[in-house]
Amino acid sequence: MKKAEGVIILWWLLFFTLHAEGTSYSLPGKPTLTNCRSPEKETFTCWWEPGSDGGLPTTYHLYYRKESSDAVHECPDYRTAGKNSCFFNKNDTSIWINYNITVVATNARGSTFSDPVEIDVVYIVKPNPPEKVTANVSWNKSWPSLRVSWDPPQKADTRSGWITLIYELRIKLEGEDKWEEHPAGQQKMYNIYSLQSGGTYLVQVRCRPDHGFWSEWSDSTYFKVPDYFPQERSIWIIIMIFSVFIFLILIWAIHMNSHTLKHHILPPVPGPKIKGFDKQLLKSGKSRDAFSSLVGSDFPPTTTNYEDLLVEYLEVYIPEEQGLMLEEGKDLHDGSLKSKSYTSDSDSGRGSCDSHALLVDKSEEEKEVGQKSNQQGGRTEMDLKRPEESPEENILNYSHANVGSPDVSCEKVKTWPSLFSPLTENSSGPLDQPDSPEMAKQHCLSDSLFPPSPLSSPFAPPGHKEVLGSNYQEYSFGNLHPQTGSHQYLRAHGNMNVANIGHKGVPADLQLPPVRSTEYVEVQKVNNENMVLLYRVSSDVEKGCPGRRHTEEYSRLKGVNNDNGLLLLQRMVSEEEMNICPYEDQESSGLTDSGYTTSTAQKSTAYIPPATQVLDERVAGGYVDTSMFTLPIY
Amino acid sequence: VYAASVLQWGVWALFLCPCHLTVSTPLDCRDDPGSLTRCPSISQEKLLDRVIHHAELIYRVSEELCSLFEELFIPFPLRLQSNQAGYACITKALPIPSSKSEIQEISDKWLLQSVLMLVQSWIEPLVYLQMTLDNYDHAPDMLLNKTKWVSEKLISLEQGVVALIKKMLDEELLTTVYSEPSVLQNDVQPEVLESVMKDYTLLSCFKKDAHKMETFLKLLKCRQTDKYNCA
Repeated sequence: MKKAEGVIILWWLLFFTLHAEGTSYSLPGKPTLTNCRSPEKETFTCWWEPGSDGGLPTTYHLYYRKESSDAVHECPDYRTAGKNSCFFNKNDTSIWINYNITVVATNARGSTFSDPVEIDVVYIVKPNPPEKVTANVSWNKSWPSLRVSWDPPQKADTRSGWITLIYELRIKLEGEDKWEEHPAGQQKMYNIYSLQSGGTYLVQVRCRPDHGFWSEWSDSTYFKVPDYFPQERSIWIIIMIFSVFIFLILIWAIHMNSHTLKHHILPPVPGPKIKGFDKQLLKSGKSRDAFSSLVGSDFPPTTTNYEDLLVEYLEVYIPEEQGLMLEEGKDLHDGSLKSKSYTSDSDSGRGSCDSHALLVDKSEEEKEVGQKSNQQGGRTEMDLKRPEESPEENILNYSHANVGSPDVSCEKVKTWPSLFSPLTENSSGPLDQPDSPEMAKQHCLSDSLFPPSPLSSPFAPPGHKEVLGSNYQEYSFGNLHPQTGSHQYLRAHGNMNVANIGHKGVPADLQLPPVRSTEYVEVQKVNNENMVLLYRVSSDVEKGCPGRRHTEEYSRLKGVNNDNGLLLLQRMVSEEEMNICPYEDQESSGLTDSGYTTSTAQKSTAYIPPATQVLDERVAGGYVDTSMFTLPIY
Repeated sequence: VYAASVLQWGVWALFLCPCHLTVSTPLDCRDDPGSLTRCPSISQEKLLDRVIHHAELIYRVSEELCSLFEELFIPFPLRLQSNQAGYACITKALPIPSSKSEIQEISDKWLLQSVLMLVQSWIEPLVYLQMTLDNYDHAPDMLLNKTKWVSEKLISLEQGVVALIKKMLDEELLTTVYSEPSVLQNDVQPEVLESVMKDYTLLSCFKKDAHKMETFLKLLKCRQTDKYNCA
């Protein structure tokens, strides 16, 4: 009994002890060699990973075998490199020889061998990271550059050439993610140039042998780039250059368009457009001369009597021949020898003498002539020429003239085309040209007496051509032979005050008044400067020369031709009429010498020689009193 | 058997020796009074530097060769950094120091001698390798060119080392050729994979030996400049 119980108990104990262990015992798991590394090609370390321990305490052993021998050695040092490692020191390390390494895990149950690993120390070199990484910022012509320098890892014997290391560095701005990598070869320093001013950088270096693995990156070295100006400045320089460039372009554009810009910004001030007003005179400082042309107007009144002023009027006398007769006003000092342009210059303030006294339209003329004239009967106008007149063409050159000697000599005379040409050169055709040659006595009044507006309306024919601008014409008297005594007279009518026309019996509608006693401005002479010297002729016919020609001193205006030439009927002047009474009342009209330029450009009639002036202007200025004029054909 | 192998080596040495000598003569500039031409002499340091440069280049190219070959012809599972146990390097037998401590113990002369041995033992196998690689179906030109280049450079390296020995040690060493007879005698057409593996091993071994040469020469240089702090 006791034996059986003992056996049972023994079996029971065995059973329990076996189960009391808790786990099943087994062989240890297979360890694995994870890696072997040599930092300097002189020593190396191998690590392994243990497998399961199988529930029993397990020991690990590393065994190696060198390439050429079969001897198996065990790891000399399990501790130095830590747990589960084997450290091979210098004496145990052979280069260029294959090691066959195995790890064995052993427990009570047995041993497990790991897979063998063949290594050659040369190929498992992984150096330590470089040391003493320093970054120095240096300045090169105001541009910073960075010099990074380092030392090889301490253990690696690069000095003797045992191991050759190749370096690499990387750099980045603080806060960025991306590194900028630079291979450095075998040198132990490196220069970096493109740095941001004021930036903080991180630098790291690593190395590897020419036959091994890269080391770990060294610790970051921080450095700060000091601020340097040029980076900011360069932007400003670029901006400035750009703006200067744009500025220059603007200036050029403005310069190119300066004219139009000027007109837009500073519109030109309209100059005075006073007929008979010569700006040049004003500029030259001879204000008297300049204003003298205006004197003919009713303002300012000069030394004439008021009575005279009142007396002045323009009369257009139209005889039955349907000519226009012009009566002169009294005041002559206005020097109204200005040739008027025939246009109705409303702004000129001139009398309508020029504009409408002489009608363009023949029909109109007749109409109006018929209206107004007939008061005095037929007055004949025509003094287109004198018999003594030289056939030569003379240009009447007239201007404001001082009263001077009766000797008139002049070099050249410009013809009045409309007057003369029908007489001389050719016939205009439709119009009845007087036969008398070139010169016609004409006088023209300054139409400044007449404000254009009142007179303009009745006289403006529809077909009125306003060719005669406010221009003056030059007339030069031709040779006047004193012997002949023929003079050329320029009679100027002055009508100072249009308003006073009515006083004198001018029709209210301001038609040209019938001929009254008129005063004439006679051309005394033409002086050497081609100026007509006028003198006032007494209006008193009785005083003056007999046969003062007021009856005959008008030339009938035939009409104005197409080219704005006044066509005057020629009137033969008798000899007597040629005789000129002694001059009386020489009066300085106060006219100053002035020359009037004519605008030839505007009027050129077919029969006008190019050099000559259009007759119209003179005629337009006033009356054409052909009786007064001797053709300067001497 | 031993005597037979020695005899073989002797025959090879005699056979190949004159070539090496004749080849190496141009570097051997002696100021013969009778000679018409005078070689420009080069300083020892410069010569050593040039030799080191040569060795470095050779190593780099051999590394490229090996990796290229491995990529092209070696299936992945068989790729090993080191030699397989079955195929030992031909220069295994050479008495070459294999650790730094060993190297520290040997003399300059012996260092140079080791280098020379290495160089000379690889000239032949590289020629053989060139021939073998030509037989490959898909060997790229780069592979062939590199191999050719390496073998040429090796020859010039040998010349340099000989001249260096002469200069440094002032000795005329009779260069003995250590060649692995097994390589040349193996005319049997092995299996394709075997031959490939063999070539691969050859290249690997060459790469290692090139690194040896480079290291030795650099250590030698250190010794020249700083005798007491070098390895």
